[in-house]
Parts: sequence; structure tokens; C-alpha cells
Amino acid sequence: MSTRLPLDGIRVADFSWVGAGPFLTKPLADHGADVIKIESRTRVDPIRSMAPFRDGVKGLERSGYFANRNSSKRSICLDLKDIRGRELALRLMAVSDVVVNNFSPGTMDRLGLGYDAARAMRPDVVYLEMPMMGTEGPQRDCRGYGLTIAAAGGLLGLTGYAGGPPVGTGTNYPDHVPNPLHGAVAVLAALRKRRRTGQGEYIELAQLESTINAIGPAIVAAAAGEDVGPVGNDDPVAIPHGVYRCAGADRWCAIAVFGDSQWAATRSVLGAVSWADYPELDTVDGRRRSRPLLDRLISVATRDWEACRLAAALAARGIAASPVQHADDLLHGDKQLRARQHWVTLEHPVMGPAVYDSSPYRLSATPGRLRSSAPILGADSRDVCTELLGVSDRTYDQLEEQGVVG
Amino acid sequence: MTDRTAPLDGVNVLDVSTSLGEYTGRLLGDLGADVIRIDDAGHRSHRWSFMNAGKDIRPWVSGSDQLDALLADAQILITSEGPARLRARGLDPAELGRRHPLLVHVAISPYGLTGPYADRPASDLTLMAAGGLLALAGEPDREPLRAWGEQTSVIAGVHATTAALIALHVAETESRGQIVDLSVQEAVAHSIENAAQYLDLEQVVRRRAGSGPREAGTGLFRCVDGWIYLVGGLGGSPLAWNAIEDWLVEGGVLTATELGAERWQQPDWRRTPEACARFRDLFEGFARSQTKAELFGSGQKRGISIAPVATPADLLNDPQLLARNYFQTVDVDGVPTTLPGAPYRFASSDVGPRATAPIGGGVRR
Repeated sequence: MSTRLPLDGIRVADFSWVGAGPFLTKPLADHGADVIKIESRTRVDPIRSMAPFRDGVKGLERSGYFANRNSSKRSICLDLKDIRGRELALRLMAVSDVVVNNFSPGTMDRLGLGYDAARAMRPDVVYLEMPMMGTEGPQRDCRGYGLTIAAAGGLLGLTGYAGGPPVGTGTNYPDHVPNPLHGAVAVLAALRKRRRTGQGEYIELAQLESTINAIGPAIVAAAAGEDVGPVGNDDPVAIPHGVYRCAGADRWCAIAVFGDSQWAATRSVLGAVSWADYPELDTVDGRRRSRPLLDRLISVATRDWEACRLAAALAARGIAASPVQHADDLLHGDKQLRARQHWVTLEHPVMGPAVYDSSPYRLSATPGRLRSSAPILGADSRDVCTELLGVSDRTYDQLEEQGVVG
Repeated sequence: MTDRTAPLDGVNVLDVSTSLGEYTGRLLGDLGADVIRIDDAGHRSHRWSFMNAGKDIRPWVSGSDQLDALLADAQILITSEGPARLRARGLDPAELGRRHPLLVHVAISPYGLTGPYADRPASDLTLMAAGGLLALAGEPDREPLRAWGEQTSVIAGVHATTAALIALHVAETESRGQIVDLSVQEAVAHSIENAAQYLDLEQVVRRRAGSGPREAGTGLFRCVDGWIYLVGGLGGSPLAWNAIEDWLVEGGVLTATELGAERWQQPDWRRTPEACARFRDLFEGFARSQTKAELFGSGQKRGISIAPVATPADLLNDPQLLARNYFQTVDVDGVPTTLPGAPYRFASSDVGPRATAPIGGGVRR
């Protein structure tokens, strides 16, 4: 096995902040890219001030929300409004393969750091922006957050109990799934083209457009004239298909039964109810017609089961089932995640040992690795300026004293 | 002269995945890879059309000779079943790796290729439960709620495509293939926002909280033709608070001047049930005679973070998306089909959904 990481030699000038951008550059960093975060002491990344904090105590170096999405990265602080700070940012672009930002449209241009400026420094740069609505169009200047995009992009409205109001995923889903990772895909694809043609690329990832792909089938259906709306936990094929209450406080088991022979096996595992008294439930059509009865009887049968044991018993008979796991189950209970070492604990100078997500995949020959915990604000300013950007120690000291770097 | 060839031009992909893996091949195809999709299922649902646009659909191959012939031309193989199923289908990753040492095998599977649950049966719903996203969704007094549209294939797909391209980079620069072992359970667990860190750092187990944060000024509000989502505060100082107050007052809700009181600046007050209820009365009194589009337009003009809760039909008529020519109509299996545009736009490369010719007819732009 190689100790070299697969993206060794790729450098990313990462101007992104808050949610989606940093989760785009995390997989690159965890697979060996040198990701340099450009931060500011006067406009600190808001997510550094977002809970949870180590021991619940607020502080710029204590946020787990920030830390988890910034493993394996370096941090420098530059005052981009100062011409000398801007000059350093351009010099960093000149030695970077990729430039990423998620500011609102026009911000990087106003700073003199837009694509044309970057390309002048580095003709084959891969430059990605991720505006919410796009850099053009009548709504380009609209503002919002992850949940705004889930609303405007259709996922929020479609995710709810049948016939009820929108509910959504309970998270800023666009910031954690479609937008950062579509962005990572785009950057890696553009780097592949650059390898073959020597040509750089400008990529615009409008977060609205990216997020709509997560409900792509609904767009196809609506364009064909069909009504699409929330369906709760129902499934067009499986029945029963739902989340059923089990023994204990707020414990649940998700069960998906495909076909009549799986249903027969499910009944025999569930027990509790004298199922033979309900022949109308023997067929898929019958179960659909008697849906309220079906769900009520299953709930009677599951309420004395421990969710984990029920899921294991059903799985042993070939039925898809899982306890509904919360964070404590994921971190401390789940045997599979433990066997695969999904959670990684990294030592941080202020937070001490803290839990990070590893990548959800392993490359057998060139695996990634979380090389370091999240950087302290500006921790790498001097190293990057003096070793990479050719600033002398003496000049650095002066710039630091004047608040341009540090 | 700009070379507009697609970024993955010349990459051949063999997609023998289940529905769990089919978004991966779709993304690779949009970026210019030629994707052969092995698919025996007769149904052609809207979901199928979205997930398989641009792929060259072929029936399942019998025997390892035919498989080897296809793999001999492929740089990337996509599967999405556990290790026992893969072995039964003649797709064992280690064995294929021995026969095709340059191949990138993107082995998506419900729980990963190793570990005690590797061969557990799974579905979209049960993987959302196993990975922890289900526990965060739904009303507290009801059962946890599944996200619309089999999101596990999207979650798996975006991570798997990222991993595939990292492995392709190694394959093309170092001439070595490998196995990408992607656990969908882990990919879901990677999507639970800050819930793992809440437990680790503050010993708090996050649970489902309904439609959003319980804070006055933020959340879903009813209007004439549906719902809007407003962000007026997320802890700390409220956002555009004076603008919201002025908006309501100028809209005729004179009692909204009370939002100017000092207590509304305090997150502790805004998080009380009284504050939430009071704000809702004021805002919905204002919004009940207006449409999503009107509220979105006038709110954004005042610098307020507000968005319509869009339906798929709304999106098809959205002025921003139409102005940007977002939707694409391509032939999928011989039927003109309207699809969302690609998640990204490349200035110098042709990227986006491609047509699928009728089965057996190959792929064309």
C-alpha cells in the first residue's frame, strides 16, 4: 500500500466559507490535495461561531461544525481589501491548480480576484464559483442559506407526511450533499481535462440548479403533466414500508417489505398478532387497500421489540430493516461503523480530541487519510507566505504588524 | 482555439448497478464518459428516465467472457450490491481486479464490502435509518420521515463519482486500477450536518424538530398559494429585522411595530413558544393575501432572506431558471424527456444530459 495520497501535488486556493464550499474541498484535502483556506480576521468565517462547541463554550477555535468540514487543510489570513493582501492572494492563485469560492456573485471580481485575474496569473487554472441562483439571471442577487435552497429547489416542499405541510430533512441538506459534492465532481473532472489538453476551466455551480438534480425524477414527472407531492414514508413498490415504534423512548425500526413471500417471513418474525385472522393482508393489493389496518397491526407487533433485535431478526430472513439510529447509536452502538472505523478522532490544539467524519469510501490502493484536525485561524500564514509565495521573513513581519497577513 | 471536448471524453464506463448506484453513471455520462448500462428491467418510470439519460442500455450479459470483453474496454465499473451478491453475479471485486488490473471498480454497497453487516438486506428507507439522517427528519410527535425521492442514490452517487474521479486520476497517471469501497450507510452518516459533533462536544443527541429551527422569524409561513421559507434569525442577532418590520408595517400590519422592541434582538426570547406564535400571527396576517412569488420578490428587494417553497411545476416556470435555459429536453429511450440541466456549467466544455437512443442503438449527442 502506498503512503502517497492520490491527490498529492494538487493545490487548491480555497476562498470558500460557511457550509457548502468547505465540504467540497474536504474530500480533496483528505485525499492529499494541499488545500489552503484564505480567511480573514475582520470577517471571520461565520461557521467558526456556530455550535456545537467543545464543552459548550463559544470560541473561534471550538466549533465542531467548522472543524469537521475542514480537516487536512491549512489556513492563512489575508486582508483582501488591502492591495498587498490582494497581491498575495494572486500569487497564491499563480501556484494553485484550483480556485474555489462561494461568495455572492461579483464579490471576487470586486476584490480583483475573479476568473480573469486568476487566469492572468495561472492560464490553466480550474476556477469554481457556487452562487446561490447563478451569476446571471433576474434573481442572481437573491440571498439565502442551505434551507432557503432546499425550499427554492423543491426538496423541502416534497418531503412531508402525505397530505401535510412541508417538513424537509431536518438539516441543511443542500449544503451537505448535492452542492459540495457536485462541486468536487466538477473540479476533478476539469482537472482530468486539463491533464489531457492543458486547458483550464471556469465552472459555475448555481446551488439552486445543483439542488434540483436531487429531485430530478419529480421534474421529469411534472414536465409530463403529473402531479407530484409529499408521500411520507410510502413506497410505490414495497408494502409494508414504514417506520414503526419499538420498545423504549422514541425508538423506531424502519422496515421495507418487497413482495408476498417477504411479507410471510415478516409476519413470522413479528409474531404478537394472530396474522392468520387477516387473510386480506396476504397480497400486495390487499395490503394497499387495508393500509391503516396493516400499519396498526404492525405497530402492535413491534412495540415490545427492541429495534436493533427486530432489525437483526428481519435481516436474517432477508427483509430490509434497520433501527432508526441517532448520533449516539452511530458513534457508540453501531458495530458496522465501528468495524469500518468511520469516525476518526483527531487531536486539536484547543478542542483536544474531537470526532470527524472520514470519507465514506476507501480506495484500495491509494486510500485517503485525515491528515490533521481543522486549522487554527491563520495558523499557516507565515509558512505559506515565506515558503510558497516568496515573502521574506522581514517583509512578512512588517505585513503582519500592519494587519495585512497573520 | 478552445478545445470544447467534454472533460471525461474517452472514458468508458460499465454500469451494472442497481437503482442505488445509477446516479453515479448518470453524472459520469453528463461529463462525457460513454456509459454502458446493463439493465433488464422492463419498466421505464420517470425516475428511470432521469437516472439513465445518456446511457447505452443493454441486456445483462451471460458468462464471464462477455463481461470480460466489456471490462476490457472500460476504465470504470459501477456496482451497488454487497459482497455476497457480487460474488453470486460473478462480480467479486478482488477477482475482477486480478483479471483487469487497470480497472477502477466503484463498488457502492449498502454497508460497505467489509464488516458484520456487509451482506444485510437494505433499501433506501432502511439506509436512511442506519446512517442517521432519518432520525433528524419529521415532527417530534410523529414517526421519523423519509426524504423524497430515494435520496440514498443521490448521496451515494455524488460521493461515488468524486471517488471514481480520484481513482481515475491515479489510473491515468500511475497506470494502476483499484477498488473504491463505498458504504452508503457511511455516506448517509456523512450527511447528518453537525449531529455527531453535538454529541461528541456537548453531549447533546440531536433529534427531529419538524420543519426547521424553532425561532421566531425563521421557518415556514403560509401564503395564498402555498408556503414560503423565511430566515429572520439563526441564533445571535436577527437578520434584516428592521427590514422585516418595515415590510409588515408598510403592508398594513400596523401592530408589527412591536418587532422593534429590544427583546426581539435576543435569541432567548425569539426561541420561546410565545415569540414564535406572535411572529407567526403577524407574518401570516401579512402573507395570507399574497403569493409565493410576490413575497419572494418584495422580500428579497428589501434584503430579506426569503424563498418560495417551490413545487416541481413552479420550477418548470421559474423565471430565473427559464432565463438561464436550465431545462433540457433530450430523447430518453426514444421519448422526448424534459430533464433538469447539469448541476454545473463549464465555460469551455460541453457538459450536460445526453440523449439515449432506443435500446440497442447506442448513444448520440
